[in-house]
Amino acid sequence: MTLRGTIPFLSGLAIALGAGWVAFPHVIYRSQPQPVNFSHKVHADKAGTKCEDCHSFRDDGTFAGLPTIDKCAGCHAAPMGTTVAEKNFIDRYVTPNRQPQWDSYARQPENVSFSHSVHVKRAGMTCASCHGDTGTSDTLRPYQVDRISGYSRDIWKIQTTEAGKPMSHGMKMADCVACHRQKGIEQSCLDCHK
Amino acid sequence: MISANKQIRAARYGMIIDVDRCNGCGACMVACAVENNVPPAHEGATDRKGLTWLRVYKVDNGEEYPNRQTAFIPVMCQHCDHETPCVHVCPQQAVELDPATGVVGEMPQRCLGCRYCMAACPYHARYFNWWDPAWPVGMEKTLNPGVTPRMRGVVEKCNMCHGRWHAAKEQAVAAGKPDTEPVDYLPACAEACPTGAIRFGDLNDPSSTPAKAATEPGSFRLLEKLGTEPKIYYRSKRDWVRAAADAPRPGAGKENPRG
Amino acid sequence: MKTTRREIMMFAGGSAVGVLFTPAPWRLITDTALWSENWPGIPVPAPGETRIKYTNCSLCPAGCAVRARSVGDQPVALFGVPGHPLSHSALCPFGLAGHHLPYLPARLKQGPVNEATAAVAEGIAKCGPAEYVVTLDLRPARTASWTYRRAMAAVKNGRYVAPSAPNAAVAVDLAKARTVLSLGVPLLDGWGTPGNVIAARPGFRLIQADAVESRTASLADQWLRIRPGSEDALAQALAGATTHAAAADATGLAEAEIAALAAQLAQNGPVLVLGSSRLESTGRTIVARRETPVPEEWQKAAPVTDLASLPDGSVRVLLIDESAPGEYLPWQAIARKLAPDSPVVVTFATTREGYGRHAQYVLPAGIYPEVDGDIPPAIDSVAATFRLSTPLVAPPQGMVKPEEFVAAAAGLPVTDTLHERAAAIHKTGRGTLFTYADAKSVALKDVSAGDFWKALQAGGCWIDAPDDKAPAARLTTAATKPRPTEESDLPLTVVVGRELAPASPILSKLYQESNLRLAPNRVALHPSCGLLDGTQAVFETLLGKCPVGVTLDAGVPPGLVHVSVSPALLDLCADGARAKVVRA
Repeated sequence: MTLRGTIPFLSGLAIALGAGWVAFPHVIYRSQPQPVNFSHKVHADKAGTKCEDCHSFRDDGTFAGLPTIDKCAGCHAAPMGTTVAEKNFIDRYVTPNRQPQWDSYARQPENVSFSHSVHVKRAGMTCASCHGDTGTSDTLRPYQVDRISGYSRDIWKIQTTEAGKPMSHGMKMADCVACHRQKGIEQSCLDCHK
Repeated sequence: MISANKQIRAARYGMIIDVDRCNGCGACMVACAVENNVPPAHEGATDRKGLTWLRVYKVDNGEEYPNRQTAFIPVMCQHCDHETPCVHVCPQQAVELDPATGVVGEMPQRCLGCRYCMAACPYHARYFNWWDPAWPVGMEKTLNPGVTPRMRGVVEKCNMCHGRWHAAKEQAVAAGKPDTEPVDYLPACAEACPTGAIRFGDLNDPSSTPAKAATEPGSFRLLEKLGTEPKIYYRSKRDWVRAAADAPRPGAGKENPRG
Repeated sequence: MKTTRREIMMFAGGSAVGVLFTPAPWRLITDTALWSENWPGIPVPAPGETRIKYTNCSLCPAGCAVRARSVGDQPVALFGVPGHPLSHSALCPFGLAGHHLPYLPARLKQGPVNEATAAVAEGIAKCGPAEYVVTLDLRPARTASWTYRRAMAAVKNGRYVAPSAPNAAVAVDLAKARTVLSLGVPLLDGWGTPGNVIAARPGFRLIQADAVESRTASLADQWLRIRPGSEDALAQALAGATTHAAAADATGLAEAEIAALAAQLAQNGPVLVLGSSRLESTGRTIVARRETPVPEEWQKAAPVTDLASLPDGSVRVLLIDESAPGEYLPWQAIARKLAPDSPVVVTFATTREGYGRHAQYVLPAGIYPEVDGDIPPAIDSVAATFRLSTPLVAPPQGMVKPEEFVAAAAGLPVTDTLHERAAAIHKTGRGTLFTYADAKSVALKDVSAGDFWKALQAGGCWIDAPDDKAPAARLTTAATKPRPTEESDLPLTVVVGRELAPASPILSKLYQESNLRLAPNRVALHPSCGLLDGTQAVFETLLGKCPVGVTLDAGVPPGLVHVSVSPALLDLCADGARAKVVRA
């Protein structure tokens, strides 16, 4: 290969690699902040709450997921601190009894039936092993959503608040299957799909 | 690719349907459609193009009045145990026989709509979504969140109300039951049947109603000579009903030849 | 230097190779697949907490107990209540889809309430001395029915008409019967309380006399295929009033068959006879039933008037309550009673398909399961009952409560009549309370009035104490007319079959998607009729025409047409009428 041919080839290669690795993530993801600047750390340290206090299991074993406004209003009917974020929260959501439109990092497709009961209570898994360090973070990281598919960036690799570093796995079916295979609990399709 | 956890006692969920008790009311069909988010018929739907995961057929003994006798036979996916025909032919591996529960599970999300399985099924128990589902405005609020609605172009069928199996599993976890026991639940058709003609249970559990009935004389299965080993047992004291079960399709001759 | 084509190609080649080593193309492929899964228009069911609520189904006179599984506040599935002494955990296909009804496309959402109120007030004021203000109640004996009766007593020249009222105080005791002779009554297909009929079925031999192979005929122990309209003739012969030969002539049965039937009835009593008043039932299988208690003050209500006793052209104001599904009287019977010069006709309906086609003012009423009301005892409930159809969802804005409208028009104060009636029942101290949540029965005297009311609302029913001294009674049945024999260009004879209305569109599973039942506005004909199955046809009688769909059914003898009626068809024909069906 002549020198004249190599340079355009290598420059094309370099530009493509740069675009694919650096520019593409910026383009494919749209970033938006969560509606409320909620601090898990403050609630864990000062209020002494554990994950299950707000993200609770119901009596029939189903998982309640993101808490509704009445759970927050239970303590925050009046301001408990001095931050602007709390005051905004009370004015916008507690007083008019409006649900915050949280963006769920872990949102799965409609056909997935994931049972928190089985994984937390029977398998004894910790929240952090799948959800990362959200539970100890001081702010909620921005919600980065894939523009085409509509799913969060966490589905591919769970981002954490430590300077946006990803964990070693995401929340795709392949990640579920890998863990199941490793533990020897291979299941059939309808175990996880509805 | 699929292997069962050896510690779990495998269940084989099946049913015993007493044809002599069935009065053809169709409550099971409606309960099934409500539970599984099956949409109402599109304008062009006939009994050939409809979505009836469970269908009650009316059969008779071929005689005229006054010797004419009628029976009603509910037919859903028979969950064949041996060389399940639909599992064999699917090019997408969108159907599989779950060794832990015995349920033949269809994944509409994986189906590409070739309908090879519909041709393979000897019981005509598989149904194709010819149209996108359409509920009247507002009626989608009444949909069951335990089951995903399907789009057009995929095949669907009875899966022994697996949404209820999931819910019952979570309840078992909440109650602290061990994971080695199969889940105890009831599909919608068995719960709705007003005459108690449809009884559901684990065929591997010798004390369950279907397991006991399966070994009794007078119990039969549809098209047993094909060797598919279906898990849905039927029972009738009338000989002509048992003869009808060997027919190519229940109610042959009473079919709608058009549409 | 000039860029050559070769350099451009090499650049492109390098980019292509480089891109393959980046996540971009692989991510775009995955994303496209994921994007294609979010197909527009496919609804996503809303998740939420599962709650159990209880009520009683008001879609038919049975009033079966209902356990609703709700997600949040929205019911998503309905089932029967296990252990219920009357409905025995059974719910029919219509009841199983009852939670769809608030979203029926044909449902009325608004109406001229103010205009109707003004017109009714004017009509009442203008009412002449020989004219009447009539409330037509198609499901009598409800608490709302008592409100209508009290309102009509408060209005000058008020009259309360309820065609099926005479049978409201009569009960059929299936448990006592050893033989049931049903003359055209669909005993196994929606009669009485289905759960109760199923539970009692092993105890009696059922002989069904039916012109077509109805569902009951196909399930009965014996089916006698008689000519339509000959039920009374058969009953008279069995009662000894006429000869077996005369009955054989009228019904088309052999004389020997009728003699054998008479012998059966004589040897295997007690015998319950349904469908004709000409033959008495034996063994107190039909008994009088105490009425569910009402407050003392209500006894001053208007009595029940027979529509036929009102002179033609005498009704100035007519208020029709068709919101609780019940009987449908053909419009001609009503129309001739209306005053000739602008009578005021108001109907309270859930769709426009009933009297809405004829009335001037169609006011929207709430639909099951939005409406609170009570369900009178079913025909096969030997003891009186009181059960509430507690709403499972809130009705939309703009709905009218018929009893409140009529009470207001009559100047009656609006009160919590259901609570008052519950209090009156509690005062008697009789009977038991069955609560659905725990399937337990307690004696009423062991429950406080407040707890009784709460239990009824949360899901329960009151059942009267058994009355062993209840006298035998008779069911009032319309006389049946034999088929006219003269030739006519309307060659078919009508046999009427009914489906419950309104019904969820999911009932298509039983209609066009399986042909298990005949849908409303469809007719069944013998295959020799010359029409193809599924044809659109025109059904014609002396009274008019109506489009119908045709189903072929060998169980319908040639010369008969089995009509699955809707109000539009009932306006055109009744059992035994002459008709023809031609291709549209």
